[in-house]
Amino acid sequence: MATTADAVAESTAPQSGAHRPLWRRRGARWFAAAVVVAQLALVANGYRDAHNYFAFQPFNESSTYAMELVRVLDDGQRVPVPNGRWEGYDWNELIDWGPLRSPWHQRHAFSGIDAVVDFLDHALDWMADNTPGDTETRYWEATVTYYRNARGPHVTVIRSHDREVGDP
Amino acid sequence: MTATVSSASDTQWRDQFRRWLDEVFYEPASVRGAAVLRIVLGPCVIWHLRPFLADALDGITYHDRFQQPWWAWYPNAPEGLYVALLWIGVAAAVLMTVGWWSRIATGSAFAVVAYNLFLSQTHFHHNRAFLVILLAGVALCDNGRALSLDALRRPPPDDRALVWPIWLLRFEAAAVYFASGFSKLIDPDWVGGRVLHDRSVRYQNEVRDAIGDTLADPVLEVVTARAFHWVLSPAAVATELFIAFGLWFRRTRLVAVWVAVAFHVGIEVTSHVQVFSVIGIGALALWAVPSTRDRTLVTPSRWVGWLDWMARFDITVAPGASWCMVDRDGTVLEGREARQFVRTRLPAAFLFSRFWRYR
Repeated sequence: MATTADAVAESTAPQSGAHRPLWRRRGARWFAAAVVVAQLALVANGYRDAHNYFAFQPFNESSTYAMELVRVLDDGQRVPVPNGRWEGYDWNELIDWGPLRSPWHQRHAFSGIDAVVDFLDHALDWMADNTPGDTETRYWEATVTYYRNARGPHVTVIRSHDREVGDP
Repeated sequence: MTATVSSASDTQWRDQFRRWLDEVFYEPASVRGAAVLRIVLGPCVIWHLRPFLADALDGITYHDRFQQPWWAWYPNAPEGLYVALLWIGVAAAVLMTVGWWSRIATGSAFAVVAYNLFLSQTHFHHNRAFLVILLAGVALCDNGRALSLDALRRPPPDDRALVWPIWLLRFEAAAVYFASGFSKLIDPDWVGGRVLHDRSVRYQNEVRDAIGDTLADPVLEVVTARAFHWVLSPAAVATELFIAFGLWFRRTRLVAVWVAVAFHVGIEVTSHVQVFSVIGIGALALWAVPSTRDRTLVTPSRWVGWLDWMARFDITVAPGASWCMVDRDGTVLEGREARQFVRTRLPAAFLFSRFWRYR
């Protein structure tokens, strides 16, 4: 006669995978194979992708960069943004992310210079979308000067998307 | 004739591979390695979530700063729900550590950490990606069968369950070391020492601040020398590649584990890599052979039982007896030899043991 203890022991006993339904056995194999293939694909993709997400290439560069930011107004006038401050806005408060903090000073390029330039590009767009109090700026433009593994300087220019100017 | 030999060899190889696959996917084995990793991952999840929670307490969430979504369709939690999710992650991490509802807790911690990672590309770090992968693998494993309150409340007959998630995590862990090492190997700037040298020169002030001028002078003279990095960089690459491959083979595994511990401690001291060092060392538990109590040990001392977290030994404590250990293959070691061997198999002691004698 089975006791409660027997039932508990049976319910917690290790089950050989061979006793599992076929779909679960096959499912586990397919899942494991998919994970292996996906991981290998991501590792390979890291040689193409600036950010090398899930490709595990830490400390890949010793590159540095600095950025000069200007506001371009509706009439084409270019207004420098010293220390990232203008019209009550502050780059560091808005962006608030370590790798892009105070980029007007020379900074280490976290995860490589290509990744940082890509982030800066998106950050300018984000700024354009999140500064409703600035009714003058049509777009932001940043001149990024960088040294890739101490070689350089190289210069690239990025800009935010255009936006409507006028009333907030 | 050659064709026949080749065909027989192919068949043998296929049979061996099939047997290995059956063992991996169908044969229950000890999940103690995953249980040890679960315990390590719990505090790491809290450590990882801490800055997000600190910001949330100040009223700041990812909504309030630059974010770069991974996918347009990915759901954005409203602020209140997001903060609640972070706290759920912390609660799950505590339950993971003590092993209460182990699998559900690990799954919940995985869900929170993964959700947070994929909210914004700015949340991505390699150590966080590795944390997500480890949490997923441990959650797939019946990890509450050992070293848990679950096992105390409802003791299972043994600590065995299906271990294919452990094999998958072994692959992932090795892939991390390999991907890192190989990418540096094929980068002339890295393997030639330029990257590390440049960083050393740039961050020498931090070394000076950390250890003071008197010590810093001779140290910096060495570490900022170009020639030093001609040696250090290839050595770092070789270390990562050795760990990636060495962990797979029984003869090199213990050395690879030792090297991996030293490697992680080294990069933590020099580079502060968030949770990476701790989870990297914790993941080494996955490489323990998934069988437990298959060596017999007679010992006069109780401390072995307390330190044998991986259950390597079937221990009989006999006050006054001399040490005697019977290995898996029947080899008998006695006295000092037995004691030294035991040290090589205890997680807290193996770093200080003569592990190379007992690979």
